[in-house]
Amino acid sequence: MIRKLIGDMTPERRSLWLAVAVVALGQAAVLGWMIWDRVALLAGGREVVLEVVPVDPRSLFRGDYVNLGYDISRFKLPPGAPVPERDAPFYITLRKGSGEAWQAASGSTQRPAQMQPDEVMIKGQVEYVSRPMADQPEQPVVVGLHYGIESFFVPEGTGRELEKMVGDKKISALIAIDGAGQAAIKGLISGGQRVYDEPLL
Amino acid sequence: MSRYAKRLDRDLVRWREAGWISTDGETAIRRDVASAEGGKLDLATALGVLGAVLIGFGAMSFVAAHWSEMPRLFRLALIFGGLFASYGFAGALFERNHPTFAHAAILVGVSIFGAGIMLIAQMFHIEGHPPDAVLTWALGALGAGAILRSNPALAVAMLLMCLWGGWETSDDGSTFWPFLLGWSAVTAAIAWRRWEAGLHLAAVALALWIVSLGYTLFHGNGHGIVVIIGLLVAAAGIAAPHIDARFATWSTTGLAYGLCIAFAGLFALQFIKDPSLGAFVLLAILSLALVLGGVALGLKLVSPALLWLGYAGFSIEVLGIYFKTVGTLLGSSLFFLSAGVLVILLSVIAYRLHTRVQPGAEVAP
Repeated sequence: MIRKLIGDMTPERRSLWLAVAVVALGQAAVLGWMIWDRVALLAGGREVVLEVVPVDPRSLFRGDYVNLGYDISRFKLPPGAPVPERDAPFYITLRKGSGEAWQAASGSTQRPAQMQPDEVMIKGQVEYVSRPMADQPEQPVVVGLHYGIESFFVPEGTGRELEKMVGDKKISALIAIDGAGQAAIKGLISGGQRVYDEPLL
Repeated sequence: MSRYAKRLDRDLVRWREAGWISTDGETAIRRDVASAEGGKLDLATALGVLGAVLIGFGAMSFVAAHWSEMPRLFRLALIFGGLFASYGFAGALFERNHPTFAHAAILVGVSIFGAGIMLIAQMFHIEGHPPDAVLTWALGALGAGAILRSNPALAVAMLLMCLWGGWETSDDGSTFWPFLLGWSAVTAAIAWRRWEAGLHLAAVALALWIVSLGYTLFHGNGHGIVVIIGLLVAAAGIAAPHIDARFATWSTTGLAYGLCIAFAGLFALQFIKDPSLGAFVLLAILSLALVLGGVALGLKLVSPALLWLGYAGFSIEVLGIYFKTVGTLLGSSLFFLSAGVLVILLSVIAYRLHTRVQPGAEVAP
């Protein structure tokens, strides 16, 4: 039927509808790719639990969200380790601690060559480097890191409630991490219960 | 029917009855006017587009109000459905020969694409780098504009490129060179469409970027470069018709943009930076010479745009000097007095210039 429909068209009509189809499918493909990329990471990535530490503004475009900070957002460089540049990639190796939550075992500007089965590598971006004061040279260099898992969008108006829970340190985040160290938020956990747990699609 | 067409309609009857034109001539003129009117925006179309925009806003606020209650899959279906429906609608409207509505439908499609990027980012908690989302949106608008030959979509693409460049610049404060790539892509599409108003939009965008160089180059000390670029553009505008007669139509335009850029640079040097008194006086004289040159050229080339830009520049400069000097260099009464004398002197010069261009003519107010 479609072939007959196209066959009946004049060349002008055909090129008009071809142009319409190219634009609509092209833009839909961009949106589809965004979704696919994320769903693949959420479905196939390794799950880790990270402890959340407080903060909350409102973003310009994206409605209500809660700003999440993590223990691994600030990494203390071991003495003598190379200090990274701003915006450079930085790799943290995570290992499961005594409880549910995972902790930073090591960090480096280089991607770790090999890892133990109980370890997961997460890739961050250096936001800032804070060096010790001149009178306290024995203090470590602290690297501020950003992983792309710092914003969690919540239904309008419920941000405060969640923020309070984060403030009381009752929250940890369930994160999916793929082989390249890309991370995505899967859900939030409060007191062993999953809150804001959404289906993939 | 436009006012001109209505008047022509009456006149044609009169002219035919007076025997000045033949019936064939009248029919031919009517046909010509009708074909020229076809592409024009009339009140009905304008109201139609406004109505569509209002309905669009209504739909959007309804969706926004119920967004969090909708299941994720339904939200995605709404985005994709809206996208396909808008472009499909645009195609159908083009076929039925309603290009204005079709372009409106394309704009709705471009908006849904942008909203889709933001909403999907929100749904999946994607953070990324927000200007990248704006760039993706701009490229989507550019694609729609170029493939569907929609000037309004190209205009949106240019505005989004500016938003992208502005965001990146304000994010890290240094010059954002990739803007030139995005700008060139959209400008190429506009030039290919031979859309003159769009080329002006592109020129304004580029001029703003050049002016921004003053604030981003050399830790905010690039204004001198801005002035030089502006003067070069103006000089190119003057020289262009002498090189090739085909550039003649762009001569005044180039001149106007060049003078505006140079003036913006001089303005920043005088009032944003804090120059020494000697430097300030020199810069003020230069700026006044520049705006007066603009006014003089506007009169010589009979360009109202240049003339008014010159007047506007003059007012801005005088106000700037006033705010800077009030209570400092000289008393404000003395300032007003000298400014008044200066303006009268200028008007005399302008009058002389004007009568030299058109001997015997009175200066239009």
